Amino acid sequence: MADLDLLQGTLDLLVLKALTWGPQHGYAVVRWVSETTEDDLQIQEGALYTSLHRMEKRGWLVSRWGLSDNNRKAKFYQLTPAGRRQLRRESERWSRYARAIARVLQTA
Amino acid sequence: MNHWPGIRRIFRLDRGEVQRGVDEELQFHFQMKVEELLRRGLSSVAARAEAERCFGDVTGTRDQLTTIDRSRERGEQRRERFGNAAQDLRWALRGLRMRPWFAAAVVVTLGLGIGANVTMFGVVDRLLFRPPAYLTRPAEVNRVYLMRTIEGRERAMAALAYPRYQDLSKWTATVAHSAAVFDNHLAFGTGELVQQLPVEEVSASFWSFFAARPVLGRFFLPDEDRAPTGTAVAVLGYDYWHTTLGGSTSVIGTQLRIGRQSYTVIGVAPRGFMGMDTEAPAAFLPITAAAAAEYGGGDQYAQGYGRIWMSMVIRRKPGVTAAQATTDLTNAYLRSNTVQQILQFGAPRADVEHLRALAAPLLAQRGPNQSSDSKVALWLIAVAAIVLIIACANVGNLLLARALSRRREVAVRLALGISRSRLAGQLLIESLLLATLGGILGLAIADWGGTIIRRSFLPDAAAVSTWTDLRVVSFTVLAVLVAGAVAGIVPAIQTTRADITTALKAGAQEGGYARSRVRTVLLIVQGSLTLVLLVGAGLFVRSLQRAEATHLGYDASRVLLVGVGMRGTALSDSALQQLMWRMMTLARERPDVEAAARIVSVPFQLSLEERLFVSGIDSVTKLGSFDAQYVSGDYFRTMGTAIVRGMPITDAQSTDSSRVMVVSQSMARALWPHADPIGQCVRIRADTVPCTWVIGVAEDIKTSSLIHDPGLMYYLPVGLAGSDGGVFIRTRGDAVLRAEAIRRALQRTAPGEAFVRVTPFASIIDHQTRSWRLGATMFTVFGGLALLVAAVGLYSVIAYGVAQRRHEMGVRMALGAGGGDVLRLVLGQALRTVLVAVAIGIATALIAARWIEPLLFGVSPRDPATLVGCSVLMLMIAAAASAGPALRAARVDPNSALRAE
Repeated sequence: MADLDLLQGTLDLLVLKALTWGPQHGYAVVRWVSETTEDDLQIQEGALYTSLHRMEKRGWLVSRWGLSDNNRKAKFYQLTPAGRRQLRRESERWSRYARAIARVLQTA
Repeated sequence: MNHWPGIRRIFRLDRGEVQRGVDEELQFHFQMKVEELLRRGLSSVAARAEAERCFGDVTGTRDQLTTIDRSRERGEQRRERFGNAAQDLRWALRGLRMRPWFAAAVVVTLGLGIGANVTMFGVVDRLLFRPPAYLTRPAEVNRVYLMRTIEGRERAMAALAYPRYQDLSKWTATVAHSAAVFDNHLAFGTGELVQQLPVEEVSASFWSFFAARPVLGRFFLPDEDRAPTGTAVAVLGYDYWHTTLGGSTSVIGTQLRIGRQSYTVIGVAPRGFMGMDTEAPAAFLPITAAAAAEYGGGDQYAQGYGRIWMSMVIRRKPGVTAAQATTDLTNAYLRSNTVQQILQFGAPRADVEHLRALAAPLLAQRGPNQSSDSKVALWLIAVAAIVLIIACANVGNLLLARALSRRREVAVRLALGISRSRLAGQLLIESLLLATLGGILGLAIADWGGTIIRRSFLPDAAAVSTWTDLRVVSFTVLAVLVAGAVAGIVPAIQTTRADITTALKAGAQEGGYARSRVRTVLLIVQGSLTLVLLVGAGLFVRSLQRAEATHLGYDASRVLLVGVGMRGTALSDSALQQLMWRMMTLARERPDVEAAARIVSVPFQLSLEERLFVSGIDSVTKLGSFDAQYVSGDYFRTMGTAIVRGMPITDAQSTDSSRVMVVSQSMARALWPHADPIGQCVRIRADTVPCTWVIGVAEDIKTSSLIHDPGLMYYLPVGLAGSDGGVFIRTRGDAVLRAEAIRRALQRTAPGEAFVRVTPFASIIDHQTRSWRLGATMFTVFGGLALLVAAVGLYSVIAYGVAQRRHEMGVRMALGAGGGDVLRLVLGQALRTVLVAVAIGIATALIAARWIEPLLFGVSPRDPATLVGCSVLMLMIAAAASAGPALRAARVDPNSALRAE
């Protein structure tokens, strides 16, 4: 669990990214994340829900109940302007971090 | 469509809305996930297992999500509630801006009411409740009084002799610390800059009562306060150090001339430290050093029990009650008295005078010698509370009128679904907002009013800044909350009780009038309380008139008292006498002086007694206490005291010490009830000395009390007096205006560092009438305030009623009623209400009479003239207040009134 902080920040980033294309219910977010990362990241789906709810509390997301494609009641999440700002900030930070690590690994 | 009852079972627990939301969301997830896995060809059991594996800890996550959502929900509720309050506040502010006159009327009314209370609280708190700053555990600290029963009345004396203080400290077991304290005024500095400032002369043990640390240097030690002469060191008061001496740290070690000697400055007391004084002392001096320097004869103060001057303060040991300390102190006092019996001839006898000691509250005004000033001040607190009640009733009335005129608006909002509690909350927020604005105004009024009251009436109350004082500000906040709630509660209840359907159906002109019964009751409350205040004002004004009209036997308004402070300039007795003669002669030569005379005793300040012997009378003392005055020629002309028979004392008689005297009428009656006093022989101080012959009889004068003064007074030539005394000057025209010019002229005669003091005699007399003046002024101000507020209230109720009944008036007039009939109708209703209020008010005043009686002078609290006069005044004001709306009602045009419907 040493990398929990990293993991949480990363999860938030992934969830925020998943919502950039419009409102999605939780399962769609889970699907998108696991498809995009394929098997590189072993993410538990429950953790993604925690991330969704936590970010809703922080005001980065809003949720409302709606109907899924197959007409079932589902909870849809949507980015708020604050969420968009957070996504921009976090992705920049992440890229900088990744570049730095990559540079270190290359010189070594 | 549900394949997974197991999953269902996990989520079946119903823990409220949040829980259900989470469960539904997760349920949707698992349905989708399992369906997908089924599509990929897994068996239903395997798919379920795989879904749970992918998800991780299902129960844990569910709990976590619920917790997060609950906390989010709570936050949102909080924001909503806060948002509501903010919205209500904005709504209230907008409402006030839209009706600025209404808002101003309410704020001013509440401001005056709150201001009156904060002012009186500030004054009374300082007199009676606030312990001295920095004092630790004030509840354990007592002031010691010595009680003596003289002529059947027990008297309490806060002043005692220094040896007595030493005895009581030594011989008590219940006392943890004791301190000697004497509040004095001494001259500071030299030459032109000399000024008289308060000092507190204290024992070294005094400092242990406080949790105060010097901001500079140190406090003095027991070694520096050792009888008989102590060490001349001084601790400066913060304000004096900071303001007058510029707050320099180099002040330590410097010499400062205070009174008759120089003191070495060793420390500065912390800011706000006033010791136990009521005004900030400029310096704290070791009581032994100051007493040795100021009271003459070096250690005389420390020798006998006869020099009674300082007061004693004790801290009881933990767990000791004041009653136990009283018993302990009384035993010590009796023991001390037996020592005194040996040393001093004529010392008070314990068995005759029922001597005892008393551990009383530290604040002098809570002790046995409470002045009538603070009794009046306590009354005024009650009066101020009544003013606030009247103000609240009035504001409640105004708010109610407004609420009634908004009945339809309220009904519409209720119909649209606003909750009644939210509506009541809005109305309360509105009245609290008004009260808060009133509170700010009230603080401003108190800041100003408190200063005036303190300066004019209650110099004993220490000054504290109103705006920054925690106790005053807390009290104001409390007053604001109470006033806001009281004024807002009736309208809030009335409004929210409104029946939607009738209000919506009814026209604006109907249905409102019946509800103003509440307003009538409020009006009667206001009116009766106002009458009580007016009666109080009337009684105090009449007391003051009586007190001022009292025949004093002299004319204080044109007399100045001149005294000299010698400040170390040593003069022989004869040189002092010559100085007094010189000043008297110089004064007589001035064009603004009508007459001047030498005196020794001063009415209400200093009285002298001599033992008198008259042949044929066993003991003159048994006939009463006779006061002596020593005078030069022109004394009776200077004072304006009439010589009823015989001759006054002349300048010549007073210089060559002729054995002549003038007695007062009462004294003549007491000593020679059946004989002519002129030519009688009185022997003074001993019955072996030659006769002093009575040469004249003067009218009685008041010297000790305006109410009960025996008037037993006699006058002897000033040459016979042992002490120097002063000079009385009768000015042409007002004495106060000429005081400074005369002081400057006389100062030129003063040798060395001696300085001349000139006091208008009227200011000494004023002190005697102060409690009535305080009562008369404040009752009048508060009564006038109440009358104004009540009149506005009456006006608004009548005007509102008239507006509501325009239609009815129109009908009456259409049916043949004249303008006069309508006028009578409206005025009659108004006056009936006020008459009820007057009746209740008079009843209340009669009930309260018992308690106010001891504070009055020469007037009965049931004085019919005052009661009738105040009632008539009240009815006249009421008639004037309702005349406007009544005339408006009489002028209603039936045509337009009926058509407006």
